[in-house]
Amino acid sequence: MPPKEQSAPGALTPLSPAVFHILLSLGEGERHGYALKREIALRTAGKLNLGPGVLYGSINKMLELGLIQESHDRPDPHLDDERRRYYRITPYGRKVAQAEAARMRELAQLAAARFGVPKHA
Amino acid sequence: MPDMPLSLRLYRRLLQLYPAGFRENYAEPLERAFRDELNQSAGAAALCMLWIRLIADLARSLPQQFAREVAQDARHTFRLWMRRPWHTGFAILAVAIGIGANTGVFSVVNALLLRSLPFHDPERLAYLRWFFEPHDSAKQFHEWRRQSTYLGDAAIFEQFDANLGGTGDWRRAHVVQASANFFSVLGTQPVLGRGFAPGDDVDGTGWGPLGRNAVAVISYGLWQELFAGDPKALGSTIRLDGNPLTIVGVAPPGFDYPGKSVLWKPAAFSPGNYGWETIARLKPGVTWAQARAAFATEADRFWPNRTTLQRIQYPSTITELRDELAGPARKGSLVLMASVILILLIACTNVANLLLARTTDRATELSIRSALGASRARISQQLLTECVLLSLAACTAGLFIALWTRSIAAAFQPAALASQAYSILDGRVLSFAIAASVLSGLLFGVLPSLYAGRVHTFGTRALSDTRGSRLVRETLVAAQVMLTIILVAASISVGRAFLDLMHVDRGFERTGLITVNVSLEGTTHSDGGRRLAYFQEALAHIRRLPGVRSASATEFLPLYAKAFIGGRFQMDGRNASENSMIVPVLPDYFRTMGGRILAGREFTDADVQSGAQVAVVNERFAGEFGPPADAVGRETAEGNDRPLRIIGVVRGTDYMTDGAQSNQIFVPSHSPGGFFSTFVARVNGRAQDHLAMIRDTIRSVDPQVPVFGVKTMEQRMSDALAQPQFYRTAVFCFTAIALLLVIIGIYGIVSYNVARRSHEMGVRMALGTTPGQLRLSLVRSGLIPIAAGTIPGIAGAILSGRLLENLVDGARPVSAVAYVAAVLGMAVIAAVGIWVAARPIAQLDVMEILRTE
Repeated sequence: MPPKEQSAPGALTPLSPAVFHILLSLGEGERHGYALKREIALRTAGKLNLGPGVLYGSINKMLELGLIQESHDRPDPHLDDERRRYYRITPYGRKVAQAEAARMRELAQLAAARFGVPKHA
Repeated sequence: MPDMPLSLRLYRRLLQLYPAGFRENYAEPLERAFRDELNQSAGAAALCMLWIRLIADLARSLPQQFAREVAQDARHTFRLWMRRPWHTGFAILAVAIGIGANTGVFSVVNALLLRSLPFHDPERLAYLRWFFEPHDSAKQFHEWRRQSTYLGDAAIFEQFDANLGGTGDWRRAHVVQASANFFSVLGTQPVLGRGFAPGDDVDGTGWGPLGRNAVAVISYGLWQELFAGDPKALGSTIRLDGNPLTIVGVAPPGFDYPGKSVLWKPAAFSPGNYGWETIARLKPGVTWAQARAAFATEADRFWPNRTTLQRIQYPSTITELRDELAGPARKGSLVLMASVILILLIACTNVANLLLARTTDRATELSIRSALGASRARISQQLLTECVLLSLAACTAGLFIALWTRSIAAAFQPAALASQAYSILDGRVLSFAIAASVLSGLLFGVLPSLYAGRVHTFGTRALSDTRGSRLVRETLVAAQVMLTIILVAASISVGRAFLDLMHVDRGFERTGLITVNVSLEGTTHSDGGRRLAYFQEALAHIRRLPGVRSASATEFLPLYAKAFIGGRFQMDGRNASENSMIVPVLPDYFRTMGGRILAGREFTDADVQSGAQVAVVNERFAGEFGPPADAVGRETAEGNDRPLRIIGVVRGTDYMTDGAQSNQIFVPSHSPGGFFSTFVARVNGRAQDHLAMIRDTIRSVDPQVPVFGVKTMEQRMSDALAQPQFYRTAVFCFTAIALLLVIIGIYGIVSYNVARRSHEMGVRMALGTTPGQLRLSLVRSGLIPIAAGTIPGIAGAILSGRLLENLVDGARPVSAVAYVAAVLGMAVIAAVGIWVAARPIAQLDVMEILRTE
């Protein structure tokens, strides 16, 4: 499906946790769906365990918005199951992730000023 | 795959729930993700957890994906609509008419046949016809109902019109006398005061002794009108034909059973009264079949030695009260319902055709989408969404049309159901409209989406207008023609039945005739001797009025009297073959009515004054005993009564609206002023102009006498014929709509064909064919599907004609000539449509077309 006309990165924020985590993982390199799911579960200590429907629903939406795209490059062919689909972040996706990070930082700073930040939450 | 785990097979099934677009793109990775998870879930507990997570995941993602795709399809649809607003507008209008007419008529059918009556548990209420339970005394009746094996309870009532007064002006009102358990059988509680108490109904003739039964329950409307809703109404006195009744209760709003009753009083039982009607509630646990069987036995017991003819003429039946109330309107409504369903079908085939043509037009777009990876299911889903959106838009528009059709239909509701308002917002009506729109959306969405399947299979090959798609479109035109012929035949048949009704010889001249009802019951003139004096004085006043040619009075006015007295008359010791009605009239009656005297003379003042035993008989009665004219001078008698000397023979008068004739014996009215007493006056010029003057003249004789029913005879005719006329108008309108839809459909298809084949036409013109010849060939090929539709159309019309014969009084199947006329008419209309639609051929620029080649 062709990506929609892109709006300003800030217009898409706040992102849903699933979308932001997918962008975070893809920021490091290309991933397939199942790898994304495992990585997110690991990063959030199992708090965000995406089911297949929600995962691919989010991917579908992100492809439509132009945040990510399907990648046709394959890593080492021996390691790869060629039937899997790989995704990579687009430059626009990076900008949106940055905008979200900036939004979160502002929020975190505001919270720190109001309540103070303990070393371990 | 036999070794595939059960979980995986199950998951694959679940994946089918996703919308087509998402399923196509992600079914495979979803399944892979599931496999990965499955591999890592060892043991039953882990598997169980996996499934719980999966179902939660489905519950979250399914609605999201559906909302996405439907929104996408809807946006796409709106863009398409905007691009072709006329095309869209017509499609919506066609379906809106179909759905609107359907919903409007359904709301009437709903009220008549489906919706509950304003009684408790109405499905168990029964109406007993031609049934003569013991009712000579209150004791006899109540003993019978208590011992019934199949009826839980039963009540009898008698309805009539009476003079109501005592609190202001005298008026004519519809009232009821009923057994004391009338309200409890119906399950209706008064809103104020009480209903009847056991023992309120008594034995006695007429109004009975003034005692326990001198009480009344009045309607809510009457309570508001006479007492402004004041509870002090209880205990007040109201006079019915002069007899005082104490008001003990007020019926709930909307309760006016039977007829449009405004007052109910406890019955006075007397031997020989056969005016009672019976309602009952089935015993708990007794089915209708059991009740019918028990009823048949009992009906025979109460009316033994019935002849076969009597059984046919007066069949004893026990029916649901609702069916009894809906009465003839029921059949008529079913006819209307059938015609509007035909319209909806025609609209659907029409729109299916339009959409199919457009889908063929969109072959390029669809092929490109298909080439880009959209599956058959995805494209079908898109087309189906378009259709359902179209029909939902049509449904909304249709509801407005329904408001209008409903208000027309409501104007003709039978009086028996007057308390039932037709509400368009009734849940059942609304769900019908929505179901009709979604169903029709699917119906006309099926073909385009099937076609989409072909686009996908053949790719761009479908760009060419294939034989197959043309065949489908022509079949649709044939189907429309078929449905329309059925409707046209039905409307001819119903319309002719109505025309017959209008032109039947009624035995009187209806123009220039004024009719005014009075009733002397309960007035100072009600004594036997004073009745005639009142009428003679009033007639003398009327005859003196300018413009009045003659005036008279009768106890039974045609079309107004709903009941009559009579018996088996004989002549020369031989009985007539059927009962004769007795019609008391005053002098000059036949001259005033415009009746035809075939032999002898009519009554004179002397006949009336002297109490002469004379009669005027109708042609039908006289004809039973030889040439009608020979009856003059002979004698006729009922049983052992004093014989009447026949002084004249007249053409019969039609008393009912169905044109049926009966044996009639007219006698001089010695004691006028009963239930149906009516003055008649023949005037010069427009009858309406004399109404007020004649009414005031009669009032001036004695303001105490209620004067009502001040109408011209023509008004009475149109009141009596309002229902058949309504059905005729409705069926005609529906037929016109159907014809319009067919013409638009054919026109659309032909202009589409011309546009598609402009290249071919250009080439043929370059080769020497004239535009006229091309247009003729289009007419020829366009008429083929019409011819194809006529054969099943005529077959369907013959079948529906048989059905109509049963449903509509006087409807006869259409003759072969009418069929030929209808088919030829359709062919001519279609040919003109095609000729006009093919007009652009004449403007084709041959050089331009050849250059693009």
